[in-house]
Amino acid sequence: MNSFSCFDVRELLAYSDECLFAPTMTTTKELWENALVELELSISKPNFNTWFKDTHIVRVEDGTVSLGVPSQFARDWLSAKFHKDILHSLRTLSESVRTVEYVISRGPKRTGEEGRVIPPPPTELPLESVHQKSNLNPRFTFETFVVGPFNELAHAAAQAVVRKPGIAYNPLLVYGPTGLGKTHLIQAIGNHFRVSAPERKVYYVTSEKFSMDYVSSLQAGKVQSFKEKYRQYDLLIMDDVQFLAGRDKIKEEFFHLFNYLHDSNKQLVFSSDQHPNVIQNLEDRLKSRFSAGMIVSVTPPDHQSRLAIIRTKAAAHNFYLTDEVLEYLATTIEGNVRELEGALNTLMIQFEMRGQPLTVNDAKTLLRGAGGTTKKAVSVQEVVKTIANFYGVEEGSIYEKTRRKEVVRPRQVIMFLLREDFKISFPTIGEKLGGRDHTTVIHSCDKIKNDIRGDSVLSNEIHQIRLMLK
Amino acid sequence: MKFETQLETLQAASLSVGRFSERKANLPVLGCILLTTEGNKLVLRATNLECGVEVVIPAKIINEGIVAVPAATLSGFLGNGRGKTVSAQLSGEVFKIETERASASIKTLSHEDFPILPRVSAERSFKVKAADIVRAIRSVAYCASLSAIKPELQSVLLYGDAGKLITVATDSFRLAEKTVPLRSTGTVPQMLLPARNAAELMRILEGASGDAEFYYNDNQLSIQHNSTYYTSRLLDGAFPNYRQILPKSFSTEAVVLREDMGSALKSLSIFADKFAQVVLSIDPSKKALLLSSRNPDVGEQISTVKAAIEGAQVSVSFNGRYLADSLQAISGDSVRLHSNGPGKAMLIKDASDDSFQYLAMPMNR
Repeated sequence: MNSFSCFDVRELLAYSDECLFAPTMTTTKELWENALVELELSISKPNFNTWFKDTHIVRVEDGTVSLGVPSQFARDWLSAKFHKDILHSLRTLSESVRTVEYVISRGPKRTGEEGRVIPPPPTELPLESVHQKSNLNPRFTFETFVVGPFNELAHAAAQAVVRKPGIAYNPLLVYGPTGLGKTHLIQAIGNHFRVSAPERKVYYVTSEKFSMDYVSSLQAGKVQSFKEKYRQYDLLIMDDVQFLAGRDKIKEEFFHLFNYLHDSNKQLVFSSDQHPNVIQNLEDRLKSRFSAGMIVSVTPPDHQSRLAIIRTKAAAHNFYLTDEVLEYLATTIEGNVRELEGALNTLMIQFEMRGQPLTVNDAKTLLRGAGGTTKKAVSVQEVVKTIANFYGVEEGSIYEKTRRKEVVRPRQVIMFLLREDFKISFPTIGEKLGGRDHTTVIHSCDKIKNDIRGDSVLSNEIHQIRLMLK
Repeated sequence: MKFETQLETLQAASLSVGRFSERKANLPVLGCILLTTEGNKLVLRATNLECGVEVVIPAKIINEGIVAVPAATLSGFLGNGRGKTVSAQLSGEVFKIETERASASIKTLSHEDFPILPRVSAERSFKVKAADIVRAIRSVAYCASLSAIKPELQSVLLYGDAGKLITVATDSFRLAEKTVPLRSTGTVPQMLLPARNAAELMRILEGASGDAEFYYNDNQLSIQHNSTYYTSRLLDGAFPNYRQILPKSFSTEAVVLREDMGSALKSLSIFADKFAQVVLSIDPSKKALLLSSRNPDVGEQISTVKAAIEGAQVSVSFNGRYLADSLQAISGDSVRLHSNGPGKAMLIKDASDDSFQYLAMPMNR
């Protein structure tokens, strides 16, 4: 008999055994493969291919080999006809084998799936669950939203919207830097609405998805059905509207949709990473429409809120942290909530692996570098360059001794930011910016600080510049 | 081995057993019928390793023996035989068989390799009328999925509930459920009988009267009915929890004559597009069911079927074949349609009999 004759069977085995069990699997797998080579010699090819197909060793325990076979036919036949041969070949390979028993099992691949008790019902029949309908993530609810001074206004506005949809604040726009729970908040509105008014239609969409929908409806020549689809909703939630900027056709479509829904008193909720007024390439008509409702911002959480957030998140995972570690996390990770979550996850995995409580030192080593990511080292030249570009003045003029009005303001902003954000000393700033006296620098910083309060244009500009410097 | 028996009985037995032989198997002996003498009985067995069957017929046994005869040859020869009796004997490796007008010598195979038919202990069992199980399987089996992506849907689900045996099959586009009375007490757990084997079981029991006994364990289901024993493997896997998707309330209900709707669907199929789309509207103001199909290459047709209607006007499109399939499982003369509006599944029932229900998904336009 040539060596190819059992090829198909062994290949099947190799297939079905892959990567599922602990290291012992490879040895039992090898054991059975070697036994098959031997069995093949003593059994006719048709018999071998019929009866040994899809067989595998399920486990070896106390000298008993449990052989998985595909059906009762195979079990009865193997134990009646080939038991001796099987036992013999296994024994010659491994002396510890005493007996062989046969169990009906569909192979490791399928047993792996048996964990699921009830598979989801046929997808086509129940067609759409509520979740798919609204595109909302049920995880995001008000219950899991941590409220602190940094977001309480946004939260209150959201609550008002939920109480009086279409009337209270329409549209509601939440803006703020990434990772501060904008998506969570606006989806929570949707989820709450879904429960309180199940007969009304809610839809959550990112502006990206909205654009893609529009483009594909254009390609398919079904713009009308696209319009109908979006106009049917009682509450439309759109995430990251800043991405709409610069896309003329889509902006126009959005504009019409906005008007339609707004006129029929349907609630609109948006999120953006900037105040709409500073989003570039956004037309005034859209800006003014956004401003017609309520615009609220979320800011990075303060120290107390960070503590509260970490506590809530850890409690949700039944994970306990000492106060010191909590304090350490809240102090070092100043950035957004997502970073806090990431750090917490790192600690949790470590805790699970070690099984003992973590100390502050552990946390320090584990999270090395995590806190630092929030502040990037930026050279003074770079700051100057960015800000000069922003205001459209020549970089060189910043360093010159000129007092032209268009240069003075940018120069003051540069000084202010270098001081506030990069903590450079007044004399150094003066020296770097063309050898100015430190009192000049102090005056500039104070001036900008004062102006920001009354001048929303300036404060927006600074916000934008800060984003650019990140 | 030597025996004599009635030609007609052997003919029938070899035909029904022969269906289970498999000519193309790796193991040539699986293409055979195994004939065994047992006392004054002759036992015929065949299997394709998925399921197997055994039929016992009375015979005059002259010499005990056992032989594996190619099924196609044997039943082909017997099928054309004439006369009342048939006699057969084995000499060496040749099986000699003689009817009134013809005699044949058939080359046999070694019976050593013929597998044992699995036996299931009688501990766990239930009883159903043979005619009922045939009806139950016929009512649902065509709904089983043909695709191997979800093996659990390539099967007919059997389970007991409150003195009834319930059979269900679905391919996730439509679902059929049929309930028949159990003739025994006790519970019957969920079992997944491969749809192909269910169809074979149906054929074996077709036209049979009396009760069929079912024995089962975790992997195997066996049925004993008079002198016939049938066994099939069961699929392991979990059938979807289909009850949760059966709608409980409806916005529109219509009762129509089964024949009217059947003939309308038949003629609509001529005009249906390649997706067999049929638009069904229930119109309370006209007291009628309007069915229409349209194929740009052929033309279009609208049929009106008189109906008794309760509820609101509704219009939904379906795969016409799915609608027609449901009617063949309904024996009463009227059919009840329950709809919840466009985009929702429609429930179809026999108006006079609650034991059958059929759920069809609409088509996306």
